[in-house]
Amino acid sequence: MQILEIENLSKCFGGLTALNQVNARFEEREIVGIIGPNGAGKTTFINVISGVYPPSSGRIIFDGRDITKLPAHTRCRLGIGRTFQVIHPLQDLNLLQNIMVGSLFGQGNGLREARVKAQEICEFLGLDQLERDTSQLDILEIKKMEMARALATHPKILFLDEIMAGLSADETKEVIETIRTIRDQGITICVVEHVMSVIEELTERVIALDGGRIIAQGQYKEVANNPRVISAYLGEEE
Amino acid sequence: MYATLALSWDMMFRSGQPGLSVAGFFGLGGYAAALSFLYWGVNPLVSIALGCLFSLLVAFILGLVILRIRGLYFSIATMSLSEIFRVIVMNWHRFTGGPSGKALPSAVFNGDSAKIFWLFLVLTLLTVIVSEIFERSRVHFALTSIRNNEIVAKSSGIDVFKYLVVVFALTSALQGMIGGAYAHSYAFISPEGSFNFNFVLLPVTMALFGGIHSTLGPIVGAVILGVVGEYLKLQLPYGHLLVYGVIIVIVILFLPKGIVGTAKERLKRKWATI
Repeated sequence: MQILEIENLSKCFGGLTALNQVNARFEEREIVGIIGPNGAGKTTFINVISGVYPPSSGRIIFDGRDITKLPAHTRCRLGIGRTFQVIHPLQDLNLLQNIMVGSLFGQGNGLREARVKAQEICEFLGLDQLERDTSQLDILEIKKMEMARALATHPKILFLDEIMAGLSADETKEVIETIRTIRDQGITICVVEHVMSVIEELTERVIALDGGRIIAQGQYKEVANNPRVISAYLGEEE
Repeated sequence: MYATLALSWDMMFRSGQPGLSVAGFFGLGGYAAALSFLYWGVNPLVSIALGCLFSLLVAFILGLVILRIRGLYFSIATMSLSEIFRVIVMNWHRFTGGPSGKALPSAVFNGDSAKIFWLFLVLTLLTVIVSEIFERSRVHFALTSIRNNEIVAKSSGIDVFKYLVVVFALTSALQGMIGGAYAHSYAFISPEGSFNFNFVLLPVTMALFGGIHSTLGPIVGAVILGVVGEYLKLQLPYGHLLVYGVIIVIVILFLPKGIVGTAKERLKRKWATI
């Protein structure tokens, strides 16, 4: 079943068209990768869907409902979860409290349930010593914390913006496994990633963006060998 | 009294929004309380509650508009609100008495200073209770998230605007409540006396001095600076504000987290080394 549908979505910042007439569909329990060179519009794509920016034009249909005009917090409550490319710990809350925020407001739980829920998610992701300040966490733990905060909102679709950036090969492997498990719980996953091996291993379908347009779509092999994708990454051949 | 103002300012500042309308709602509550007593003969204590409600209502409506802006712009907008209230009161001679203000026939409890002290103590306790409720509930999580990163807050399902408006209205109500009590304790109200900028600067300084983002900090700051302020006033009738200023500069330079914040950190470090 289809969970998210995007129709002719555009986003302009002044004279710059960051997204240009993008159409995309996401099925339930799918793992989709979004690739593209820097400035292709990948993060803008997530920001517009999650409601950080309003789109300039187009429609976003989520779970059979037009959410184009809804504010970010409502979209979150409906089931759109996300992490950020640049890590954003809430530095005045500790590790567990950071995750509780997602459960408290994204899912509307009370304090006690939120605490239990956050603890469960931490256990699932392998986070411990939950009373630590965020300044004491390493990069893997912060990335997991951000993922946990998004998971705690009980999303139906989860956008992960360059979650692997800065992780070692072993850590990457661990996170890939985690993402698979999350999908098996029935959550659609959309990963934005620069690490091609991750995209190849993890995703079932890839969308390639360049200059705000979708230039290719399909299985990783097809997309990676698509001449337009190659030229977008490496430049035109003379 | 300053403890309440300092604490209520801090409660809003926990969301990262430095409001400067403390004097505005303090004065507004004061006028609402004094005038409802004067014209309609409302019981003084009930009129203080009315001042509180009136500030709540006005802050709620204005909050819907001005909480679309953030940070320093919010400060400036709230500061101008205070100024607008003052100008309205100054020029509405017939109702408010204009620049010369209004005298009430008698102070609350016939000016019994012990009873007035208890009244302020109860109101301060009420503010402390509200602040602690904020700190121990989901409000704490919402405000801290908004302060740390508004986009993360939104994306985690927090209705940022709703929280800011409600907190702005509630804290302004507390300021209006104490303004009402202030008016009744002096049996007199005037624009310069109520909308005085000192009612913003001193509470903010006290909160910074004691330690922001907590219940204890602003209270400790208000008590220490309040006592020091009174003492200096006696020793140096005109120079006290200068000495006061120097103390504040020193504390903020060397204890940027305020007294309570620094003490907490020291204790934490001690625990960590044991």
